[in-house]
Amino acid sequence: MTLSQHLFYRRSIILAGGARRGGKLSERKEILRTEGLWKQYGAVTAVADMHLRVYEREVFSFLGPNGAGKSTTVGMILGLIRPTKGRVLVFDTDVAKHPWPVMKRVGAVIETPAFYPYLSGYDNLKALTIALQDVPKGRIEQMLELVGLDERGRDAYKTYSLGMKQRLGIASTLLRNPDLIILDEPTNGLDPAGTREVRELIPRLAREGHSVFLCSHLLHEVQAVSDRIAIVKQGRLIQEGTVEELLGRAEYLRLRADDMDALRRALGTISWVTGVESIDGYLRVAAPTARAAELNGVLAAQGILLSELAPSEMDLESVFLELTDEEVA
Amino acid sequence: MVPLIATEFFKLRKRMMTWVVALILVGLVVLLYSVLWSASSRVQHFGEGRQFTGIDLRQALFLPGAVPYALQIVGTFGAILAIILAAGSIGSEYAWGTVRLMATVSSGRMKLILAKLVVVFGLTAVGTLLAVAAALTYSLIIALYYGNASASFLTAAFFRDQFAAYGRTLLVLTPYMTLAFAVAVLGRSTLAGVGTGMGVAFAEPLIDALMRTAGSPWKNIPDYLLNTNRQIILLQNKVPEVLPRLGGGGGDSAVHSPIVAGVILAGYAATFIAAALVLYRRRDIGSSQ
Repeated sequence: MTLSQHLFYRRSIILAGGARRGGKLSERKEILRTEGLWKQYGAVTAVADMHLRVYEREVFSFLGPNGAGKSTTVGMILGLIRPTKGRVLVFDTDVAKHPWPVMKRVGAVIETPAFYPYLSGYDNLKALTIALQDVPKGRIEQMLELVGLDERGRDAYKTYSLGMKQRLGIASTLLRNPDLIILDEPTNGLDPAGTREVRELIPRLAREGHSVFLCSHLLHEVQAVSDRIAIVKQGRLIQEGTVEELLGRAEYLRLRADDMDALRRALGTISWVTGVESIDGYLRVAAPTARAAELNGVLAAQGILLSELAPSEMDLESVFLELTDEEVA
Repeated sequence: MVPLIATEFFKLRKRMMTWVVALILVGLVVLLYSVLWSASSRVQHFGEGRQFTGIDLRQALFLPGAVPYALQIVGTFGAILAIILAAGSIGSEYAWGTVRLMATVSSGRMKLILAKLVVVFGLTAVGTLLAVAAALTYSLIIALYYGNASASFLTAAFFRDQFAAYGRTLLVLTPYMTLAFAVAVLGRSTLAGVGTGMGVAFAEPLIDALMRTAGSPWKNIPDYLLNTNRQIILLQNKVPEVLPRLGGGGGDSAVHSPIVAGVILAGYAATFIAAALVLYRRRDIGSSQ
């Protein structure tokens, strides 16, 4: 049995049971709602009019470029940052007015996990259990096992690698068996095996009945695990929906011909072709996929014979970069 | 708030700095007693008027005098250590980023700050007792060495006096401790708290002296500052006259009664605690803190 299989087996024991994810959103209970959330730092608007909804048993991903206001929004959700305007309701409770009843049901790792360097991983979790009070006995050992830190649990936190710190962060988040889990870059510093374990863990948590609020830059990971996604830019929510909705928001066709210049010129004359982009030797054309045959006919009438015509599948990364106008580094 | 106090105690108990600070305090007491014991057999005359002999000094180091003198040492040098402990307890949270972690597991920001202060004060009180225990042990050794050990001084009045002296010592430490704590919250740094606390502890006696020399309207200002009132309080501890007085001087001008001095010190402490509470409660805990 490999380490990964072993961890998966132990996780299955710990996280066994629970409801399956699914059902219409309208039938699901709302866990988190932000109403017109604003945060202003002097003349700088960090977050503007943010309206978010997170439902029970869903993985909700919150994406945006650096400085888009993600961490500020998370800080306001956790009651660490006071909104300039608007409010955050978690479990129908205003976080600003009654933070503690909310926080007892929320687990969060915000950006890089931060723990006491002189304490062991075990003692760090113990300090949290003392503060939280209602953590069942044996939960620390369970959580250290879950994240694969059981053998290093008694070592000082300062000796941990970034990946181990991240694992301890996840363990601390799950310690109180929270209804809402906020994970800010949970795979940061993890090796590929660790990243895969977290990727497997996140939907499993949702199936277990937890709601997961995920911030990550690993868009392939996000696409694989998310139910719904929100994209923010310069503090504003610019797109929100299910993964399918976001990926299907624009339709593209992938075209190739012997004379690419002539093809490009011909496409410029078609009114319902809204965009043409040259990528890796073919043209990506913004046009309804249902009109592919019509397009082929129009081009053939102009003497352009296509050697390739196929729907171009968008991935989350492409959608994200398009929406945020980010240049690929 | 009890779980938060228990958490803070757990964290500070596990922290090396706490034990190092306690060890330094005990070491200071042992060092000063060693120096005085050594001096008692080498130097003939002591005191401003050279009216005391080596035997007088040795007698003062025996048990009855050991407790108030140990408390005077703590009241003077212990302030430095209390400053480090207090500033470190909150400043380190900012440095490690654990301030966010603790804020999300605490039943309230004010409760968290109060829990920290309670634990720092409690550990300072325990450290003071450790210093007294070290002085008592050392005195017993000296007394046994000279065949002068006696328990006759252990009367109800003695215990009452020592208990009062213990309370006075903790009272004079509290404003310095809370000042360092409040500045550490303000500056989000241990260094800011320690620097300000130490600066006040060391520079204030000098500034006091300058102001008194400068005459009116400066000369009365030191009466309302920390050092003068600390000295007024510490003078109430019945330290044998032959033992050298520690601290920055002042306080012997009888400008206030000990009660007024106590109220002034308590006022400072309350102000610093309120400042720490308000700052921590109102401020955002962002990603860089």
